[in-house]
Amino acid sequence: MRFYLLPLAACAIPLAANPYTQFVVNLMLVYILVAVGFNLVLGNLGQLAFANTALFGIGAYAAAMLMAHAGWPFWAAIVPAGLAGAAAGFLASVTALRGIRVYYLAIVTLAFGELLRWTYIHGEAATGGTDGLAVPKADFFGIALDSETARFYAFLLIVTVMVKAVSNLLRSKIGRAIVAIRDNELASASLAIPTGRYIVAAFVLSGFVVGVAGSLFAVLIGRVIPESFGLIELILHFAMVLVGGLGSLTGSILGAVALTALPEYFRRFPGLYEMFFGGLLIVFLLAQPRGLAALAARWWPALRERYYREN
Amino acid sequence: MFALQLALSGLAQGAIYALVALSMCVVYRATTVVNFGHGDLVMAGAFVLYLLAVLAGLPFLAGALAAVALLFLLGVAIEVGLIERIKAGPHIGFALMCIAFGYVLRGIARGVWGREVLPMPRVFDFPPLVLGELVVTGDALAVFGVVGVLLALFFLLFYRSSAGRVMQAVCQSERGAALVGINVRAFHGVMWGAGAALGAAGGVLVAPITLLHPGLGAIFLIKGFAAMTLGGFGSLGGAVAGGLILGVAEQLVGGYVSTKLIDITAYLVIILVLALRPSGLFGRAIAERV
Repeated sequence: MRFYLLPLAACAIPLAANPYTQFVVNLMLVYILVAVGFNLVLGNLGQLAFANTALFGIGAYAAAMLMAHAGWPFWAAIVPAGLAGAAAGFLASVTALRGIRVYYLAIVTLAFGELLRWTYIHGEAATGGTDGLAVPKADFFGIALDSETARFYAFLLIVTVMVKAVSNLLRSKIGRAIVAIRDNELASASLAIPTGRYIVAAFVLSGFVVGVAGSLFAVLIGRVIPESFGLIELILHFAMVLVGGLGSLTGSILGAVALTALPEYFRRFPGLYEMFFGGLLIVFLLAQPRGLAALAARWWPALRERYYREN
Repeated sequence: MFALQLALSGLAQGAIYALVALSMCVVYRATTVVNFGHGDLVMAGAFVLYLLAVLAGLPFLAGALAAVALLFLLGVAIEVGLIERIKAGPHIGFALMCIAFGYVLRGIARGVWGREVLPMPRVFDFPPLVLGELVVTGDALAVFGVVGVLLALFFLLFYRSSAGRVMQAVCQSERGAALVGINVRAFHGVMWGAGAALGAAGGVLVAPITLLHPGLGAIFLIKGFAAMTLGGFGSLGGAVAGGLILGVAEQLVGGYVSTKLIDITAYLVIILVLALRPSGLFGRAIAERV
């Protein structure tokens, strides 16, 4: 039950927020999902991957295309967006079944992600090319999401459900297998864990979560353009997971909340954005490699995460 | 004739990829760290050259040598200041560290360059070489010449000198090399420097023949990876061969299929090679059986 205290408390945020801060809070919710999904691969599986922005993008494009071309309501497009992300996660990692690991797998995800982004730019008929695709008005089970407050409650519900699902998953057989592979693949294999399949599974699950985040992003921003899913975005995803804490669900939430609002401040000075986030990664890698979550758990031991269910 | 002409211009492009791939391979072989920030070191080489030659008015050759020397120092500094200090951590830490300093370099370049794309004045002012119906441009001649000399020097040094034997020893076994009195830590620093300097040489060569922008690094990173994968990860000769093949393949795809596809040839090469023949053309098996 403790899990639901935070989202319940968050319900009060619109009382104190103006439309702009409400927008930033909504963006935080999107990035919480991005970081939680990316962390499954980067932190829990311990596998470097570059396809995360592509997965984010494919979720956004899938939702935008279903809503704009096929006229689906937003609520019906959420799960297909997740499935599109999951399918992309599968394709990005399928070589793991052939024994491709670590750096090689990372390079495949890099190539795959760039290939997807190229498709967004050149698939004009479906994606609108570099101009992007306008996202129609969102409809959430009959409620029009036409204000930041309305979007906030819809997003909060979706994000809470998804984060709870990931939290349960991590404390299941699958979650433990994924962490076991990170810590020692040979030992996991000797315990009859089919490691290749679990690596692909982690990418697929991560793709689903990040794809759903993409659909929320599309609705929040109102226009999907290839530019949003490039290398500039990728460093933000890396920073959120690492600053929050690799392999920590609490950490992903902390990282997303801490960093979402920052890019806006760097817009005026070219290059400052990359210098700041690159520098932030370096500082955390050198001084606090386990991220904010480890710091928080030191002061508040209840935050320490376990891989089993507490009854 | 058309195909031959395409192949020739592809080889010139491929020679630069070969240099970049070789420089990545040097760091990988020597330290087992795959440098995901390497493309940005190449970009930084071109960037420093631009600063020195165009803004400070140094002659091209002096600027080029200074850029390569500065990048050598930067490579050593990165190894000693950043990589060595997280040695105890998991491999993902190295990769993230490389990504991080790559972004910092890119940010610095963007901060100084601003948002525009910069042309360098032309340097390689040779008349083109005409062989029957084939034309080899002055740029291509210069690239062939410089890359040829650098590769010959590198392979002579690596396989025929006593310093090269030290390098081979550490590549084979760090612990063994340390036991016979080789200073492995210093060696790692020097190899990072050498990798960065070779990469910077690649950047110096592309600077006068392409437009410069901070995003160049990401492009070179992927081309370098594609060349390395094609040649067999970790094989020095393979990296060179892979670079040349990639350059030719890009031009042929651009000439016969669509110029739009030039950009994604490298991505397709990476995915196809690792999916179908992970060891590449000359490498040893990398797929792990567990």
